[in-house]
Amino acid sequence: MARPARKSGGRKRRASPGALTRRAFLKGVGIGGGAIGAGLLAAEAPRPAAPANGGSRTHGPGPVDVTLTINDRTQKVRVEPRVTLLDVLRDRLDLTGTKKICDRGECGGCAVLLDGRPVYACMMLALDARGRSITTIEGIAPKDGLHPLQQAFIDRDALQCGYCTPGFVVAAKALLDRDPRPDLDRVRETLAGHICRCGTYPRIFEAVLSVGRRGRPAVP
Amino acid sequence: MASRRTITIGLDGGTQKVEIQVPDGEPPIWDAETRLNVVGQSVRRLDGADKVTGRARYTSDIHLPGMLYGKILRSPHPHALIQSIDAKKAANLPGVKAVLTFEAADSFARLDQSEDSGHPSPTPSSPSGTQARAGRRILFAGEEVAAVAATTPEIAEDALDLIEVRYDILPHVVDLEEARKPEAPKVYAKGNLPSPSVGGHGDVEAGFKAADAVVEGTYTTPVALHNALETHGAVARWEAGRLDVWASTQGVFGFRDDLVKFFKIPAASVRVQSEYLGGGFGAKFGAGVTGVIVALLAKKALAPVKLMLDRHEENLATGNRPSSVQWIKVGAKRDGTLTAIHLRSHGTAGIAEGAGVSGPVRMFYSCPNIKTEEQDVFTNAGFAMPFRAPGFPQGSFALESALDELADRLGLDPLELRKKNYLETKAKVLMQQYDLAARAIGWSRRRPPAAVPKNGEIRRGLGMGTAAWGMYGEPPADATVRIGSDGRVECVCGTQDIGTGTRTAMAIVTAEVLGLGPDQVQVILGDTGTGMYSPASGGSVTLTSILPAVRSAAEGARSKLLEAAAPGLGAPPDRLDLKAGRVATKDGARSMTFAQAAGRLKSSVISAQASRSKNYEGMGDSSWGAQFAEVEVDTSTGQVRVLKISAAHDAGRTINRLASESQINGGVIMALSYALLEQRVMDAPTGIVMNANLEDYKIAGPMEMPEIVPIMIDAYDVANNIGVKGLGEPPVVPTAAAIANAVSNAIGVRVRDLPITPDRILALLGKVKEA
Repeated sequence: MARPARKSGGRKRRASPGALTRRAFLKGVGIGGGAIGAGLLAAEAPRPAAPANGGSRTHGPGPVDVTLTINDRTQKVRVEPRVTLLDVLRDRLDLTGTKKICDRGECGGCAVLLDGRPVYACMMLALDARGRSITTIEGIAPKDGLHPLQQAFIDRDALQCGYCTPGFVVAAKALLDRDPRPDLDRVRETLAGHICRCGTYPRIFEAVLSVGRRGRPAVP
Repeated sequence: MASRRTITIGLDGGTQKVEIQVPDGEPPIWDAETRLNVVGQSVRRLDGADKVTGRARYTSDIHLPGMLYGKILRSPHPHALIQSIDAKKAANLPGVKAVLTFEAADSFARLDQSEDSGHPSPTPSSPSGTQARAGRRILFAGEEVAAVAATTPEIAEDALDLIEVRYDILPHVVDLEEARKPEAPKVYAKGNLPSPSVGGHGDVEAGFKAADAVVEGTYTTPVALHNALETHGAVARWEAGRLDVWASTQGVFGFRDDLVKFFKIPAASVRVQSEYLGGGFGAKFGAGVTGVIVALLAKKALAPVKLMLDRHEENLATGNRPSSVQWIKVGAKRDGTLTAIHLRSHGTAGIAEGAGVSGPVRMFYSCPNIKTEEQDVFTNAGFAMPFRAPGFPQGSFALESALDELADRLGLDPLELRKKNYLETKAKVLMQQYDLAARAIGWSRRRPPAAVPKNGEIRRGLGMGTAAWGMYGEPPADATVRIGSDGRVECVCGTQDIGTGTRTAMAIVTAEVLGLGPDQVQVILGDTGTGMYSPASGGSVTLTSILPAVRSAAEGARSKLLEAAAPGLGAPPDRLDLKAGRVATKDGARSMTFAQAAGRLKSSVISAQASRSKNYEGMGDSSWGAQFAEVEVDTSTGQVRVLKISAAHDAGRTINRLASESQINGGVIMALSYALLEQRVMDAPTGIVMNANLEDYKIAGPMEMPEIVPIMIDAYDVANNIGVKGLGEPPVVPTAAAIANAVSNAIGVRVRDLPITPDRILALLGKVKEA
């Protein structure tokens, strides 16, 4: 697919044609959500039904009310329609565990679960998340404790600076929910859309596999 | 004042006693004979739970009441004069609270206050020639032109679109070789070639005459981008003349000092905090232009402002690893004894200096004749910043490749060639590292490169490289350890944990001294407000600088606690011990819990502060390391797959084995990425970066991961009261060289250019024309 060129503003524009922004991209092609991993695209759930009048509804450009279900809580925000799910989570709802790293679907740092499946929150408009169940990193742990996967990440030192960690935990949880005993190749493929600049991958693999094996996570 | 003490240094199984001069007040030195309980074990990170749950608050996560969002407008042109900036429309946009424009000739020089001890200034000050012109001269595409603060990020972005800038476009040069030509556009008035740096010893010409074999070749490496996952940025708030900043920085004190200098306010009026940092790798020293802009916006808007760069900006204007073109010539006797090494290199650090690569040639091996000539070349491109072992991955790639070529020429094993030229130093552990890492990879399987492979063949190869990095930790560094009467223990140092595990290491040392577990120590760091100074976290100096101060402070707190406990145990303090959460008489007859002892303190809290002593004279050798790689090359596609890397390193005395192994893994992976994938691509006609994002600037991910065997060795080379050395840079040094040597071993043709992409492999095999 050819990328929509950003509206040319001559001298006042940004530094290079590579400066395609995520927002311009979303506005240009109206993509609804970036599912992570090829296998997930194939299993894409049916989109919500179109409005009853059969046509598309226009939102904005001014702020509109958006009601979202996040970590089993219903929350209302008033934002411009162009605002992504990621920016709503981080800037409006103070759910900052979900990280903004590349802001264009390249790194996995903003992974959240949408009806149980991992998506890039930077590639989805908040409006498009209405009516879906959103789980962020803040919703992974049970009350007063940690998910076994989170404990395994700590035990195996599967984190360094920790900035990519929420995305990896969210994606790995989605994997284990679907496939409780993945092998190493499956873990690699599932996490292929994530980047860790500190280079923690081997220990992330170990952590995920240790929970998959239902083994007791321990310091190696 | 100083006293003499005898300590034991060396390796387990090969120690020696030496007498050293020690500053007064030093606690008993942890040397090769000291056995410790917590230090050296595998300890889970104290901040693990915060990081896996998303609770950890990074700078990018800070929200303050009434906070605005800042954004920066950047020049699209690589070389231009700013004629005018019209920001009226932007200022009038509802929601916009502050607009700054930087059109004055001196505005950029004034903004850039960045300085960090031990690192080159990222931009040479006062680009000569600009003052004579009317407007400010832009030197690279991506330089800051204007900035806004608005009530939402979206409004701030819209405001940038409304700023009108008129440029006089000037001729530019971004290509390294073009920039060296006399007729090239000049980045600075004095030209693009600052004075070269020449070094070495002996007489290389005589050395080459005495050689039985000589190899020479030219090696190139690309500009690489740091790409820490948290971008540069800060939150600033002014209140009653005081400036509070939360910053994504590797050096809270350096960041503060830059702001103090810029705003001309007392250091006590500025507080910089960085509790969690999403990586830095050398690009986040000082406030930089971003840090100054966010503080200026907050001042002008009379409200707190957050400004985090986006990924595109991060890849244009926050630093990089310079490129290099290295011609290297190495001579040796028939038995492998080196007679001469001559290195001549040039590279570009953009508008800055810092493209030197001679460290490995000067440090790694014993050679009687060495000559190095290094030339920086200015281009209209973003400035370099130190990038994890500045100069070393580049230099080691050329040197180690030449050594492997030499070994093949002489019919020697590459490892034997390196051992033949071993540089003996006190307490050196490299020989053991060679052997352990070689065994882990199965080095005895290595065969000299066979003939160029036939079509479709999949070949395997083995290669190796050496690592070294100097011991740069030193004073000043301060720490405080407090014990509350409720038994609470706090260890305080203003330093920052950039992901290396500093927080946990501080707790480990405190816990060791106080006989506790690391999780019983609260660590307070990342805050200039603590008043406990730490150097910036770069050059592998953090633990080496601060832990000796932490230990001295903990020893002070321990003494005070034992004094309080002594009457209750009927023994003098020097007859008491702190172990396993209890204070006990040395004979074990009487004891009480740590909390009971704390309850006997005469005040609600006792506190001991200490500063780091200078390094013990004659001690403090480099950290060493050795890495071996096995690769597989598909000779029909040119694809290189790294199968396994074994990596043996040391950091003097290991503090946290678990985190140290992670550090080794991380260095290996970052350098694997550099070897195979990473390169900034610039378009020469337009002078812009073509791949300033994480899709086109490829970073190694889960699919590229080999098996990695990290091997940590303890080497007791005791330059401080703990014997700790740095581990941040060493693991990133030899990997690219080891991989390149393995690939060359596999295909029978020498790899001379990084990154080792499939097209280059096919070109080496004569299947396609040179890319």
